[in-house]
Amino acid sequence: MEISFTVNDVLQTVNVEDENTPLLWVIRDILDLKGTKFGCGKAACGACTLHVDGEAVRSCSYAVKFVQDKTVTTIEGLGNRENPHPVQLAWVEEIVPQCGYCQPGFMMATAALLKKVPKPTDEDIDNNIINVCRCGTYYRMRKAIHKAAEIQAEKDTNESNMV
Amino acid sequence: MADNKSESKKVSRRKFLVRGGLGTIGVVAIGTYIFRNSIRREILGTVNSLDLPYTDNTDKPMIWFEVTSENNILLHSPKVEMGQGTFTGIAQMAADELSVSMSQIQVIHAASSTGNIDSFATGGSTSISGLWQPLRELAAMLREMLLKEASRKMNVGIDELTIEDGILSGNGKTMTYAQAAEGVENWKVPDTPVLKSLKEYKYIGKPIARVDLDAKVFGDPIFGMDAQMPDMLYGAVVRPTKIGAKFVSADIKPAENMPGVVKVIVEEDFVGVVANSMLEAEKAKDAIIVTWEGYEDLNTDAIFKIMTVGNGKSTIIQKHGDALDKQDGIETLEFRTPIGAHAQIEPNGVVASVEGDSAVIKISTQVIGLTRKEVASRLGLDVEKVNVIPTYLGGGFGRRLHTPHAVQAAVMSKAVGKPVKYFFSRKEEFQHDMFRPPTHHIIKGKLNAEGYLDGLEHQFVSGDVGNHSALIPDFLPPIIGADIGAIRGGFIQYTGIPNFRSVYWHVSLPFATSWWRSLGLLANTFAMESFMDEMALKANKNAVDFRLAQIGDDSIGVRLKNVIKAASEKANYSEDIANGRAMGFAASIDAGTPCAQVVEVSIVDNEIVVHKVTVSLDPGLAVNPDQIRAQCEGCVIMGMSAVLYEQMYVENGELQPTIYGPYQMALMKNAPKEIDVVLLQGKDTPGAVGEPPLGPIGAAIANAVRRLTGERLTELPLKLSKTM
Amino acid sequence: MNLKTWFVFLMISIVGVLLALANTPTIFEYHLLENQQSEINKSDEAFNKMMDVLTHQRCMNCHPNDNIPKQGNDRRPHYFGMARGEDDKGFQATNCNTCHNSENNTYSGVPGAPHWSLAPASMGWEGLTRSQIAERLVDKNANGQRSFDELLKHMTEDELVLWAWTPGIDPNGQEREVPPVSKEEFKNAVEYWLDNGAVIPTK
Repeated sequence: MEISFTVNDVLQTVNVEDENTPLLWVIRDILDLKGTKFGCGKAACGACTLHVDGEAVRSCSYAVKFVQDKTVTTIEGLGNRENPHPVQLAWVEEIVPQCGYCQPGFMMATAALLKKVPKPTDEDIDNNIINVCRCGTYYRMRKAIHKAAEIQAEKDTNESNMV
Repeated sequence: MADNKSESKKVSRRKFLVRGGLGTIGVVAIGTYIFRNSIRREILGTVNSLDLPYTDNTDKPMIWFEVTSENNILLHSPKVEMGQGTFTGIAQMAADELSVSMSQIQVIHAASSTGNIDSFATGGSTSISGLWQPLRELAAMLREMLLKEASRKMNVGIDELTIEDGILSGNGKTMTYAQAAEGVENWKVPDTPVLKSLKEYKYIGKPIARVDLDAKVFGDPIFGMDAQMPDMLYGAVVRPTKIGAKFVSADIKPAENMPGVVKVIVEEDFVGVVANSMLEAEKAKDAIIVTWEGYEDLNTDAIFKIMTVGNGKSTIIQKHGDALDKQDGIETLEFRTPIGAHAQIEPNGVVASVEGDSAVIKISTQVIGLTRKEVASRLGLDVEKVNVIPTYLGGGFGRRLHTPHAVQAAVMSKAVGKPVKYFFSRKEEFQHDMFRPPTHHIIKGKLNAEGYLDGLEHQFVSGDVGNHSALIPDFLPPIIGADIGAIRGGFIQYTGIPNFRSVYWHVSLPFATSWWRSLGLLANTFAMESFMDEMALKANKNAVDFRLAQIGDDSIGVRLKNVIKAASEKANYSEDIANGRAMGFAASIDAGTPCAQVVEVSIVDNEIVVHKVTVSLDPGLAVNPDQIRAQCEGCVIMGMSAVLYEQMYVENGELQPTIYGPYQMALMKNAPKEIDVVLLQGKDTPGAVGEPPLGPIGAAIANAVRRLTGERLTELPLKLSKTM
Repeated sequence: MNLKTWFVFLMISIVGVLLALANTPTIFEYHLLENQQSEINKSDEAFNKMMDVLTHQRCMNCHPNDNIPKQGNDRRPHYFGMARGEDDKGFQATNCNTCHNSENNTYSGVPGAPHWSLAPASMGWEGLTRSQIAERLVDKNANGQRSFDELLKHMTEDELVLWAWTPGIDPNGQEREVPPVSKEEFKNAVEYWLDNGAVIPTK
């Protein structure tokens, strides 16, 4: 089965035998984008979180057939070293990662949160950021999420001033 | 490498010692090696290692540094990076002694082919402390050699040259390290150079950002799970769900003709399948019908029954004064801790390629030497022909101190003649973990007329931690007399008490228990410090004062007292309950690092909520204070997770649960909103950091709950028995 | 209802069945044998069948009274603190659709159906008696202003409701338990009960 969708601004067409193949494995093994992680395969840990049409999705539990004609963003497309996303900037500023394995999932979940709630409260963070981190970086993550909201707000102000 | 041997011989006449570190004493020699566009400078070493059976014959070169043509330094680390920040710490050490900037240092995992293999493991909170002296000396030596060559080439006296950011200047001339190194055939090897003074260091002691920060924020493919090789296939191995089940035979027909299946491999001890994709391998694996034998239908109760003080073999690990007599007034409390899973988010995985008489293994491992030895041994290869290339670890915590899956992947690769990637499913990860063993503790104490302890006795039993682990040879435990892992934190730190003893009992369980970050510390400190708190209450004394009065005045005792004072002062420790919150206090010593913690706890909807944790740690000299803070924060949260939520259980002979969620762990909402870290420096060299802060958290929380509710919780995970 | 009434009713029913088996009844005759009592009992029977389904965990898990979805046969709270949120679909960025799709996922064992969500808070059933559940069911203020016809359509045609009979496998690969009444029987029971005035048994 042929499935076409946009990944990080590039139109991709993949051929899969099983249309129910989890999007995660298409992203990782066919499109070779390794930033999206496998942690549990049961939509429990959140390491595989990416965006489909801007919404946070656990890609280990998302059949590739559903992504036809949709837009996917992974950590590689969220931002890069030249043009980092506010969430990535905040993560760098707060020196959040330890082992780092779960971090892309957390950053994608955070980016999705900021889109819906530009200035999240601690409660919003507790409710929406429910991925699992074994190193225990939650404390710095919370600070980074608030900081990312500030950076985003600043960026938005600057951009609107430029118009 | 062949070229280097002669080089190595040439310079071996000028030996100089590299002291300590890596558990090795050895000589270092220098050779040169031209590699494509970059100039590689190798420091070759011969090393006499600890006399452990798996250690390599290390009469081989060791590569530590390379100078690139862009004038950067590649540092080959024998320690792996699993989040603990070692790469950053060693980069700081090397940059300072080499007089280069942080951005000029790139730390990479030393492949085993570099010869730079840690003789033991990455673990035990020893990486920075162990490399502190030898790495700085190696870096200083390289600096001196480059200085000498530059002086010769520039025709400027050594004393007239200064170095900054890897550029030598003097007499109006400049030269980069790369230029200095270019074309040099015979290096003059200096005596061990004098190290810079602490004041001269630009990076050591500063909160430098992690060197792997960008890679981890931008999703670079740095982990074992991300590793690939050309033409790679995917493997899966059938694993039993029952404890103790041994492979007997397999009906592989149903799997052989499934889509994508390349080969089903039946070995003496396992059956594996290789397919074109991971999902195809997994599906085929599920179709194989395996006969197992030797398992028993265990349950948690049966395991706890075995794991009871009085069972197994005992060893007195600490003894001072008299034993507690049988008179009245002895207080006794019993404690239990459950089976804990590592639950690191990156499953164990490996890519193996076996071709002819050699193999390449890309893997998340904490034991490069052991991984190499086991693969070589199973495949009948020369260890030198097995190149283990470590990747970043998506969490270690002790889970990667044995890697038999590397052997299985190598066997599968050999069978299909192509590289094979193999990793655990989450269920396999949970059921085939090497768990933190359950423990049971009986603690007795007797107060004197002044309300201090006259005698204290800790009797505890644990499953294997170091014993029967692949890292510890079987001949060692009988010599040592106790499991070196299980007894961590089991010693009595209140050596001011006139009479005390600690007795360790050992029981091996029918499933693997082993190293879990901080080993016995988490359980032992929970029990000991809960008991101390109860005694303070009994004596009607402030918990901090009660402790301070009973600690000895030796150097570690003084350091322990200092962290206790620092934590209680910073947190304004009080035994009053305010706004529904109570404070709890606990302290521990682990691997020579004392740590004290104060927690603020309340009860919300009958759940224990930890609002604030104050940590005081004395790790000695802090190479990177920010990463030490990060380790403290991480230990607090991982420790909270373990003591409030986590437990494996055994039902019908199976370890359960097999997924996050049912295996409850701390989430964002559970993490304290405030973690305040106070660092002390009670010695002038770096000490252990990555595990010691895991000690106090369990007891500190239990002690706060006791003060808040009156209930003494004696079992982990901590659950309130009555509704508040 | 006393024993005597029961006996009479039972006898009449048996005679009715026998007559039916004798292949001679006409619609007219059939109607003759029914009385009001038997209709009530049929309605009660339908009610109970319907309730056997509605009170089953497959349905009840998403009709909580505390804003927290439940999971599994033991109706434990949904892991990771998921809750109703403002639109019955979870929180702003992490919601039902973060993990649940329009159909079951056989790889992860995550269940799915169209518009996966909690029933509205007004339709919380947890802890209620069957009669109380029925009261809510027919109360337009609680059921989203649904008429009987609309209610019938919702209960017998909505894919999320009918998911209860195709709940798929759980994360361990085990088939989820289905309600004790078949889908067709349930549909008939709902229809019968609504058609007969949605009478809530008083006992």
